[in-house]
Amino acid sequence: MLSQWTRHLNHALWLTTVSNAALVHREEFHEDLVLRPLPDGRVSSKFTFTTLLRDATPRNPESLAVEDDSQHYTLFPLALGQVLREYAITEMHLTLNAGKWNYDRWGYPDEPGVGSGAELWAWMGDGGPATVDYRWQGLRNALAGLFCASLGSLDELRTTSPTLAFEPEGTLPNWTQPHQLRHASLPSEHVCTENLTPFLKLLPCKSLSGVASLLNPHRLFDADWHGMGVHVSYDREDGVKVRLTFQTVFDPVRTSLNNRRDWSFASLFDRKVEQLCPVAETSRVRLALPEVQSYLLAPEYTIQDNYALFDMAASSQAFQVSMDWPQEPKFQYRTSSNYDDASIVPLSVQRTLRGSSQARGELSVTVTNHEAVEIQSVYLETMPWLLQFYLHTLRISHNGESRGDLISNISYVPPVPHARPTTLQCIITIPPKSTIKLTIDVSKSFLRYTEHPPDAQRGWDLPPAVFVPFKTDHNRTLLGTTRYQRIYTPTLLADLATPDFSMPYNVIILSCTLITLIFGSLFNILTRKFVVVNMDPPREVAETQ
Amino acid sequence: MPLKDPSSVSFQSSPTRRLVLASYWVLILLAVPLWWQTTSIERLALPTARPALPLRFPVDVHLSGVSLHEIDELQQELRIWDGVDVKLHSGEGKNEFGSYTVTIDPTTSPAIHGRRLSLPDATNLAPILKSLLGPPADEGRAVGYAPRVRLAFTLLNEDAAAGGGVLGWDVRQAIEQTLASTLTTLRTLHNFTIESQVQFHAPLAFVPSPLPSLSEDETAPAWGLTREDLTVFVNSAEWTLSSSATNDPVLNFVLFVPAAERRPLYILDADGFPTPSTAFLLPQWGGIVLLNPASSLPSHLTAPDLAPIMTAFRQQLLLLLGVPALPATTHNVLADTLTGWQTDALTRLRARQNAQNARATLGSIVSLVSQIGNMPVGRGVRADVRGALGALEGIATATAQNGVDILKKSTEALTLSARAFFAPGMLGLLYFPAEHTAAVYTPLFASVAVPLVAAVVREGRLWRAERRGTA
Repeated sequence: MLSQWTRHLNHALWLTTVSNAALVHREEFHEDLVLRPLPDGRVSSKFTFTTLLRDATPRNPESLAVEDDSQHYTLFPLALGQVLREYAITEMHLTLNAGKWNYDRWGYPDEPGVGSGAELWAWMGDGGPATVDYRWQGLRNALAGLFCASLGSLDELRTTSPTLAFEPEGTLPNWTQPHQLRHASLPSEHVCTENLTPFLKLLPCKSLSGVASLLNPHRLFDADWHGMGVHVSYDREDGVKVRLTFQTVFDPVRTSLNNRRDWSFASLFDRKVEQLCPVAETSRVRLALPEVQSYLLAPEYTIQDNYALFDMAASSQAFQVSMDWPQEPKFQYRTSSNYDDASIVPLSVQRTLRGSSQARGELSVTVTNHEAVEIQSVYLETMPWLLQFYLHTLRISHNGESRGDLISNISYVPPVPHARPTTLQCIITIPPKSTIKLTIDVSKSFLRYTEHPPDAQRGWDLPPAVFVPFKTDHNRTLLGTTRYQRIYTPTLLADLATPDFSMPYNVIILSCTLITLIFGSLFNILTRKFVVVNMDPPREVAETQ
Repeated sequence: MPLKDPSSVSFQSSPTRRLVLASYWVLILLAVPLWWQTTSIERLALPTARPALPLRFPVDVHLSGVSLHEIDELQQELRIWDGVDVKLHSGEGKNEFGSYTVTIDPTTSPAIHGRRLSLPDATNLAPILKSLLGPPADEGRAVGYAPRVRLAFTLLNEDAAAGGGVLGWDVRQAIEQTLASTLTTLRTLHNFTIESQVQFHAPLAFVPSPLPSLSEDETAPAWGLTREDLTVFVNSAEWTLSSSATNDPVLNFVLFVPAAERRPLYILDADGFPTPSTAFLLPQWGGIVLLNPASSLPSHLTAPDLAPIMTAFRQQLLLLLGVPALPATTHNVLADTLTGWQTDALTRLRARQNAQNARATLGSIVSLVSQIGNMPVGRGVRADVRGALGALEGIATATAQNGVDILKKSTEALTLSARAFFAPGMLGLLYFPAEHTAAVYTPLFASVAVPLVAAVVREGRLWRAERRGTA
């Protein structure tokens, strides 16, 4: 009944919008939920809400000088559309994540942007009356206001342009001037309810109907890993696409009473889908089927490409998916060596900052290739200027011997203190089934008194490094499509020399005392009157008497 | 060994010692201006003479079909009021800002076309002219003047998922058909940015009051909004109406479709009875129209469906922009547009308000700066204040025939004065209290001053003793 009604409405919407196609861009809204049981008993879920603006093009920055067309949207979020038009953004990706994505145990995420904290990158056309950096600043501030996040601090101290690792997801229009990339990340930013509320407001059905009604902040922010993303891209065939994503990793074993990994929507989200979103063209709920066959799934599903596909409209009551493991009385955790043997990703990366001193240290990166073929990978470090690399100390070793040939295409933008971050981009080659080790010496800067954050003793969060593995043939030429997803390393914490913040007053007192002391003694010597006091005559007088 | 007399050593002589002491004091006194200059706050002098320039618009009204004697009589009645300086002539006007034509012709009906007024007789001419040339300002409802105004049209479904929602509208065509000509005539005053969106879930923050059934069928419920409900109608926490892209003022026009189980929804009068009106205005915010779709209504509103709603939005827009209404006895020949009398009167009104506000802001800046002693006044602030004053003076000297120029000048004055008032540099050292200054200076100055003063006192005593001794 419900489904029929929705289909009817969609049909009506489709017909009427087609008739005005000359004036209004046809808009489509798709919602999609992918669930994935993970080998360590956890369950990852990924919500995707896609809004398509058919046949629309991003604003050309050359047109910023003239009046923009009026914006009429039905499903497309107006608040976001305004920002995109105002600053002529072609492609934009904003992610806000909390937690560390464990690639070795969880495999690749469904959404590649999983670096801890906030990350924003945008491709913008050049030219026009406003510079790219001016528009980048405007975009940062507008998104900070829209999502209640401290994106304003993604300033030029953190902005880089690493074009190798962050290629555009869609296509870039052919304008007279080339496109430019701006990228910045802020690992200390945390995602919470105040960011989710504006995120939900961008959805046509908010969190009141459809798949989005499962987005319950109490449960989402209790998950082991959670992150939201806003992705805008342009495609010649599809037009402008906005993809809002929310990704979580739940641990049903942690919340269950008897250590079982059974779960359902009610246990994960504390909600069910009560009503469908009337304007969603498609509403899909999919579950990646695990290899082990001993599970029970409800409700009815069809199998497509190793995914179980559920029909939300079929059920007459509230819709929910549940997964039970009846043959497992208790979930058996695997030992850690099990994970290492059967890693799901081609590369495992470990990155550490070593050295106990507050002035110097060593950045050490260990990369393991699990594949039987040689893998090449883009390696990207974007570092705030407070950590400076000594590029001549960059060493790469394989099985204990130094192998300079494994690193190539180094591009390095040195930092400018108080002004610009470091960008180190290179391509590393990892021989099959082996581990390489990369080290570089770093020096930690001495900050100005006002540059320290309020919780200065905590240290500085350093952004994650990014690896983009790709397969090559024997001549080491890039095989076009065999690019893997980006891999983010965990963030680091740098301990910098921190002053005692009551110091300025102490310094004033101390130097005043010193100046007074010098002044006093000098002044005394210069103005003291020396007098000879003769002690003898009174004694003589006494003797004569 | 005989002791040498210390007073015979060159630097131990009293004149030398006094010279040393004096040079210390001279050095300190010479350093005071330098210290004062390096530590004081930059406070540039602001022009304080307030220009009390009355803004006066000369207006020429050309009358035809009226005798010269009657014109003289009318001129006596219409002199100057509200800054409008009326001169009556006979003949034809030029149809430009500040020049109008009135035709008295017994064969016509009262009508206005552009800047031309046709009346069958001249009995009510004076009050009609008065209300056309200088209508009373509508304070409170209209938004403050801004050169660019955003018009945000929103179709709000209280709950579309429950069924019966309106899922789309041809707002672009409807605006073009109903509003475009009005907006074009207002283009000399405002630039408009138009945007629209549809929301499918827009819950109210309260539950409308159920009404006793109106129809014969007792089971058909109805709902009502009381006066108090209207004041809290906008649920800004749940509705995403505003956006942060620009700072221009936004006028919201909301078409609200109640949820299927809350229909029909009426606006109640003071006695709690439903009124036939479906629209209401929130001063300086925007307008709201309720739509109770009949079951036959499709889920997509076409431009003809929207026409009555857009007419209501147009009325609300005119009220919100402060467009003066025409006198009740006359009517506009081109119903969709605004007459030249109205746009001119609005231009004069806005220019006067802007100039007034700019003057008030400048006055506040000067009094604020004089009240707060440690408020810095930088070059930017001074330049803005001077610019605003220049623009205000420019109005007086501008050729008063061109209303657009005057409005532009007055807007410039308002913008510059507002920018000066909110200059962030003026907050610089506002919260740096005097105690901190003392805490920094005392450890140095007190400990240096003690030996210096003591030495002066000692020298003074010695000098007096010497004088007494020699005397």
